Amino acid sequence: MTNSKHVSARLARGMLSAGAALALTLSLTPGGAAPAAEPIKIGVIGEESAVAGASITKAAQMAADDVNAHGGVNGRNVEVVIYDDHSSAADAVRAFQRAVSEDKVSAVVASYISEVALAIEPWSARLHMPFITPGAASTDISKQVHDDYARNKYTFHGWLTSAFIAQSICDFQHDTLVKDFHVKSTVVMSEDAAWTKPLDERFLDCLPKAGIKVLDHIRFNPDTTDFTPIFNKIEGEHPDIITTGISHVGVQPTVQWHDQRVPIGMAGQSSQATTSTFWKDTNGAAEGVITASAAAPGVALTPNTIAFTQAYEKRFGASPAYDGYTTYDEIHVIADAMKAAGSTDPDKIVDAMEKTHYTGTVGTIEFYGKNDLYTHAIKYGPGFVTGLVFQWQSGKQVTVWPRDKANGKIAFPASIKMPK
Amino acid sequence: MTTVFGPRLLLFIAVFVLVASVLPLWLSAYVLGVLTTAYYFGVFSMAWDLLFGFAGEVNFGPTFLIGLGAYTAALLDNQFHLPIPVTVLAGALAALVGGLLLAVPALRLRGPYFGLVTLVAVLLLQNAIVIFAAFTGGEIGMTVPDVLSIDPKVNYWYALAFLVICAILLFGLSRSAIGLILQASGQDAIEAQALGFNVTKHKLAAFSVSALFSGVAGAMLIFYMGAASVGTVIDIGIGVQIIIGAVLGGRRTILGAAIGAIFLVVVTEVLRPLGQLNTFVVAAVALAVILFFPDGLLGHVLRPRESE
Amino acid sequence: MTSLQILVDGFAISSLYALAAVGFTLIFGVSGVLNLAHGGIMLVAALIGWWVAGETPLGVYGGTVAGIVAGLLAAYITYFLVVRPIQRSSAIAHEEKEIFVLTGTLLWGIMIQTGMAYIFSDNPVTMRPLIGGVVNVFGVRTPRNEIMIAVLCWVVIGLLWLLINRTRVGKQMLAASINPRGLTLLGFELSKIYLRVWTIYGVLAGGAGVLLASFLGVGTANAGQLTASAFSIVVLGGLGSVSGSLVAAYVVGYLETVTAYLISPTLRPIPALLLLVLVVYVRPQGLLGRR
Repeated sequence: MTNSKHVSARLARGMLSAGAALALTLSLTPGGAAPAAEPIKIGVIGEESAVAGASITKAAQMAADDVNAHGGVNGRNVEVVIYDDHSSAADAVRAFQRAVSEDKVSAVVASYISEVALAIEPWSARLHMPFITPGAASTDISKQVHDDYARNKYTFHGWLTSAFIAQSICDFQHDTLVKDFHVKSTVVMSEDAAWTKPLDERFLDCLPKAGIKVLDHIRFNPDTTDFTPIFNKIEGEHPDIITTGISHVGVQPTVQWHDQRVPIGMAGQSSQATTSTFWKDTNGAAEGVITASAAAPGVALTPNTIAFTQAYEKRFGASPAYDGYTTYDEIHVIADAMKAAGSTDPDKIVDAMEKTHYTGTVGTIEFYGKNDLYTHAIKYGPGFVTGLVFQWQSGKQVTVWPRDKANGKIAFPASIKMPK
Repeated sequence: MTTVFGPRLLLFIAVFVLVASVLPLWLSAYVLGVLTTAYYFGVFSMAWDLLFGFAGEVNFGPTFLIGLGAYTAALLDNQFHLPIPVTVLAGALAALVGGLLLAVPALRLRGPYFGLVTLVAVLLLQNAIVIFAAFTGGEIGMTVPDVLSIDPKVNYWYALAFLVICAILLFGLSRSAIGLILQASGQDAIEAQALGFNVTKHKLAAFSVSALFSGVAGAMLIFYMGAASVGTVIDIGIGVQIIIGAVLGGRRTILGAAIGAIFLVVVTEVLRPLGQLNTFVVAAVALAVILFFPDGLLGHVLRPRESE
Repeated sequence: MTSLQILVDGFAISSLYALAAVGFTLIFGVSGVLNLAHGGIMLVAALIGWWVAGETPLGVYGGTVAGIVAGLLAAYITYFLVVRPIQRSSAIAHEEKEIFVLTGTLLWGIMIQTGMAYIFSDNPVTMRPLIGGVVNVFGVRTPRNEIMIAVLCWVVIGLLWLLINRTRVGKQMLAASINPRGLTLLGFELSKIYLRVWTIYGVLAGGAGVLLASFLGVGTANAGQLTASAFSIVVLGGLGSVSGSLVAAYVVGYLETVTAYLISPTLRPIPALLLLVLVVYVRPQGLLGRR
């Protein structure tokens, strides 16, 4: 995304007049085999300035092209209509309204930010519009569907809730760090934010079960720029590993961790570390950082993963962020639901989506039911979606968990002292 | 009434209200939705203009007052399921009390100092919401179970009625004796004081009115949106939008501020096809207006003659 | 041990705060301008510096220079495109210039921020440190880069002090800040002095931006925070007072560091904000300000 050619191309593009930019945005209409009828529209709300936000719109475009190349839906083409919400909840709500009542979309895929997804949820209920978020993590999204199913049933949560993300990290630490590196203790370090509350709760519960003692639990202000005090405090407690829960920050703590030669490894959720540009953004300070993600380049989570990743890289010159994979799958899920329902009636789409059994790029997607705790969230576990865990090694994302999907072994830089 | 408004202005307002209230017959739910938000922002900008334009205080923290109103109402609705009118009233009260706590000491300050204190108030409120996430939902916000209405037309009429009432009250206030004293003190506080007016008392009154309207508007906005979050009602960016709206429309005009704010929301929406660049273009347009038409869109029409 | 850590860690961050704030206070002192595009200008320097260092053969040093030049250019554009037209406009009443400069620079700052996000995305970036490695300072493991940044900040601030107090140019500036009308009567051109101040400001803000990128990392989302932090430090120290800003930068830097170490990293910015409110209420002219 940020190679020099690309930046200069963007610079040149930025100088184009507003009119040209407008034409550019509007020219994103799909081709493919063309059934004659009026296309079915799907609204896609992302944010081009953010790597994760741009992945949503790009992957959605690819998915729509694929669906159309295979004959479309019920004899009609699928067309994605793209909106930019600048990561603002108020902006996203207006984009959602525009999608529904102006552009007459039949479903909406929106945002990787919990605040935005939660702001859209009441509107999805009010306007009876099927809506899925491919990247937000808050457990509240599905909890609200569970608590008031009749009203909120139009909302689906297309990514693991933060509780499941924590669970996958515990499973990973148990399978690899405990077994291979004799890790016995950790300090949980997470940003003070609503999405990390259920994450940390699960960490404090599942890490001890995985055989790791939690020595301390540090939450810090998401506006923090200087992480020295936090690392010094952690170092004083001598844990074997730092378990992270960070998304708002990522580059800064990683670089400072590296520059200060903190002798303890970091493994957990570090959302910024899942992007392909992270290595360059940190000038290689990412070496050794371990994070959970949806997928990684070159890892066949399902038979579809590699083909998608390659096609995406070929088309856009960068690998997709985690929500690129889920968006790609979920456009297919919506298209299949429309096929199964034989219509674009929202209630019928919701019914059909509840019966989803779709093998996509991140795993097999099914949604939890009405009586489950996380209604309409994607199922977590072997056979469904587990995500994976990778480590940055010499500029590459090397997958280290689940073991049957791993394409490398964990290796820490020399400055990190592991118990083994 | 007629002496305050003047016959031409009265006619203008009557025509505007008439046209605006029948718009739902033709416009789509989406356009109505945009206008509904725009009307609430109109109230925010008018309340800000009363304080700045007339009392001469640069308030960087309109969202402190709005956020207090919005979050108080949202909390009461979310936790105790109180009826909407009660929570809105409580929100207004919270904004008033918070505003007074902020204003009483702050009004001794001038210019940038006052501005900074109001800015810091917003930052503190934002931090408090994240720290007390157990009650407030933190940075991802809080859904309110009750809404004003799910019918876009009804929501639109609520917002329009509220805008019109606020406009009449605030505009009337600005043209009353209090408004004139405020204006005098905003331009030359010492002289106004010398003339025997209790400047601080009047400014406090202006601040209270501003707070009250901001609080009610904030509370109503979240009952329209269905969720309260930092990014919707508290973020500095929202405050910036309110200030720009008021300056764009023409300071010291009240009605101009409302029209500027509505214009800003509508233009942002019209430029949505630009995608990520629309914020950039809107900021550039606003900057150009400020540089080339410093009186704002309606400054010349609406500014009282005596201040020219 | 902890107290030593606080002492060492707080020093570097405070020095950087100081460097970022002195330019801001200087323009206010001399020309009465509060530049709310300040964070945006630092951002331009940081991102251009990062890009040149990483993507061109010029390397880290070339990037540093390019970043500072970019910061200077951004400052000039701010001055010529936004600030000067407002100052010279006859359509804006004198007592309203302040709000116009504030709103104008605010809008310009938003334009910089969104423009930069369009070109570089909103991912935070970090520049490779000018020098790598760590050393022990009183038993505290400290990156060499951090020490160098602290030293560099002080060298620059020292040069600034010499410039203001020991040269003709500097004395003119001082005079302009005290009595601009008197200076024009003596035949000096104010616009020339303003341009010099903006030049100094551009270099300072650019330098602070580049160093910030190599020390802590910067993203487009930080622009507002950077402006607010400079604004707070400058008011805390006393608007227009350079030495006040220096003191205030250390007060804020250490207060944040102490809070993060001894109370909780969650509450890091709170005590500084409360202190700011308190000082503004009790002593509105700031710690070292004149009224």
